[in-house]
Amino acid sequence: MTPPPAKRQKRDEYRKQAAATNPDGGSSTTTTNETSLPARVKLPKKKFYRQRAHANPFSDHQLQYPLSPAHMDWASHFPAYVNPDPSQTNLIGTRQLLKDVEIVDIGCGFGGLLVGLAPLLPETLMVGMEIRVSVLDYLSTRIQALRAQQQQLQSTQASTSTTTTTTTTTQATADAVPEAPTTEPTAMEAEPTSTETPSTTDETTETTEATTLVPGGYQNITAIRSNTMKFFPNFFAKHQLSKIFICFPDPHFKARKHKARIVSETLNAEYAYALRPGGLLYTITDVEEYHHWVLRHFREGEDAEAVDGAVGTVKELFERLTDEELTQDPCVRVMSEETEESKKVTRNKGNKYVAVFRRKEDPAWPA
Amino acid sequence: MALNFQYPFQCIQFVERPQAKLLLASAGPRLYSYSAETGQRLASWPQDTSSSDQEPPEKKRKVSTAEGGSVEESETAEKTEKSKAPPAWSNIPIVTSTSNGEYVIAVTGEDKCIRVFQVQDDGSFQQLSERIMPKRPSSIALTSDETTILCADKFGDVHSLPLIPSNEKPAVAPRPNREAKLSHPAATNLTVHTKGNLRALEQQLELAKKKKEAGEEKSGPSFEHHLLLGHVSLLTDMLFVSLPSDTHKRTYILTADRDEHIRVSRGPPQAHVIENYCLGHTAFISKICVPRDAPEYLISGGGDNYLMVWNWTEGRALHKVPLVEDSSAAEVVVRGIWATTLGDLRLILVALDGSSQLQCFTLEADGSLKPQTPLDLTGNVLAVTSIEKDNTLLISVDSVRTAGSTNEWRASPSAPSILLEAFRLQQGTEGSLGWEPTLQSATGAINAVGTLEIAATTEDKKRGELNDLLYAMSKLRKTPRGGEDE
Repeated sequence: MTPPPAKRQKRDEYRKQAAATNPDGGSSTTTTNETSLPARVKLPKKKFYRQRAHANPFSDHQLQYPLSPAHMDWASHFPAYVNPDPSQTNLIGTRQLLKDVEIVDIGCGFGGLLVGLAPLLPETLMVGMEIRVSVLDYLSTRIQALRAQQQQLQSTQASTSTTTTTTTTTQATADAVPEAPTTEPTAMEAEPTSTETPSTTDETTETTEATTLVPGGYQNITAIRSNTMKFFPNFFAKHQLSKIFICFPDPHFKARKHKARIVSETLNAEYAYALRPGGLLYTITDVEEYHHWVLRHFREGEDAEAVDGAVGTVKELFERLTDEELTQDPCVRVMSEETEESKKVTRNKGNKYVAVFRRKEDPAWPA
Repeated sequence: MALNFQYPFQCIQFVERPQAKLLLASAGPRLYSYSAETGQRLASWPQDTSSSDQEPPEKKRKVSTAEGGSVEESETAEKTEKSKAPPAWSNIPIVTSTSNGEYVIAVTGEDKCIRVFQVQDDGSFQQLSERIMPKRPSSIALTSDETTILCADKFGDVHSLPLIPSNEKPAVAPRPNREAKLSHPAATNLTVHTKGNLRALEQQLELAKKKKEAGEEKSGPSFEHHLLLGHVSLLTDMLFVSLPSDTHKRTYILTADRDEHIRVSRGPPQAHVIENYCLGHTAFISKICVPRDAPEYLISGGGDNYLMVWNWTEGRALHKVPLVEDSSAAEVVVRGIWATTLGDLRLILVALDGSSQLQCFTLEADGSLKPQTPLDLTGNVLAVTSIEKDNTLLISVDSVRTAGSTNEWRASPSAPSILLEAFRLQQGTEGSLGWEPTLQSATGAINAVGTLEIAATTEDKKRGELNDLLYAMSKLRKTPRGGEDE
């Protein structure tokens, strides 16, 4: 047997280290003072987590998914939102949260949308779902790092302002000696004193995320590996969600692959099930044909079936938001500017097609 | 002359016609009708045309009355050129009928074809239509008005089709959006960038241009059908249920899939409204059953060694019923769950793949299942149908494989092969249920005539194929794979 290529070896080593330096939780509930936080928590580098863009949604994979929404261990994902009453547990005995997850990013990729939305809706729990293992690894590591950075910033801020807050975070000062030197550039090592002034110098690099104290401290976002086309109802109960995002989905250009598309008449029924009436489903794509596909499957009289299209199909559960409504929604801006894919499209001077749909009430039972 | 095996009955169904009581059954590639009273074989389809049973029948469709044929001619005209070939199927996995027994719907295996027959007074089958589905059907249900067929398939979709296709309907049916074809590639040089992809795009553009010049490409089925709902998973079973409500009847479609889901959707035209899910199985689901006399309960089973009883309108699990005493025993595959009411007892009967025991439970008022003495049969239980008026169960058994095994064949065929057994519920015994053999002359007649022969000398490969046709469900189990999953 030949040893794994150097590239892969390097990647594995990097990932192992990244996971080790950002232990799970990094939270207020676990004892943060047992291992003093590294002076500067570093964000993972994307180049060590690349994976081909496609995954077969029909394959079994090796997925972990809860038996039902009541069997889902959310507590480990949102330690800051765990119900303080330990007797409040779900069906598998893990602690319950103070609130339910409300926003889902289907196919979240490297997590640009979640990270962008987190400070915008600091009190809302969001989850990204991604089928690709490596990408998910990256995002989980990234979120842990972001949380740790935020905690650090918070503690230094607390110590500089000398108000002894009730937070039990360690007094690990930010000027501790950096451990585990890596080849990581030091760009992200922002001055802890500059926390109040939002740095707007370099929007494109992720390093800016470390410099400011962000509302919610990224405690409200998480990522899960899943195949939403199969297991969406295992995670979310009826009408649990207020927003679903589908950003730059795999276009599956070939007609015979269309069943693999994440938007379809039959899957839209599942989105409608999880989405509460009034809830929003956001879509964005750079493929014009896919945009029309989306419109055709949610609303609009653009197809030949418009005559009988309104009755007896899933379309009667959705209505499209007007352009005016879109401009007022900050989520649309995040979706079209802060996701990794949207940046790529901008770089390549591609088009972006946005469509947002509102979940209507279920129709009355037929008489 | 060497004895041969007989194809066992894969499906059996008792129907009561105004003139006669019939037993409909499928065995191998054939569909049969018998008198349920005497056991006399009334008809088989496709009909024998040659003397040898082994020879595939020549005619795909034989009409018994002259005037019936003309209706059919136009509809199946395009198929007739194929009718010289041997049947395109080797088994008939689904047979169901309207409640009055007038129409029988059968699905033939390999050709994915839904066939509707009218059962004549003399028990013969007149095929009214054959509709080839885009994907292999796994379950067929009729709406409560019995005018619409619902077909769940292995692609995860449920389609509706009229029981009797109307003649006026134009050949162009409303196309499901999914299959909408594009005349040009969806990708553009704005969306693909790499060298390889750009080259592929160029080729596609060229191809599309050629296709446009050449005219339209082939499309899907031409008969009327509508996509009602879909899972991204293989559908294993489906039920159509109507519940009385305060004002109107409410109808539901229940679908079960390989990924442990049972979905409760509204009936058409609102099948896109999902009411809830029944989640609680950890392996595939193979059968779901809503007892006619207790429609508030749903009983489900599959690759788990237990059944679940649900309050399905609320998606709430009520009971978990163990199926095997020793939970470490071999893997369980539920073959069938049948509900029947004999006397004042609501019975739930359960068969496992490769088991010669028919497990019996009584459905109690709170939905719990009380185990009763199981019925022991001479071979693996394949299918069950009941004659409720006579407190009788008809059970088809596998006379080819040894009892308790899905792959081991018996050393030698018995004469006659036991294909069907009948039992009557014994009244009077306090507490436990008792069964006594019944209808022995009828079952004896059916067993004596037999079905189609399988040569006792069949080689192993072919045997394996036949095993897989009859015991297909175990293939649904997910195998834990080693290695990286990326």
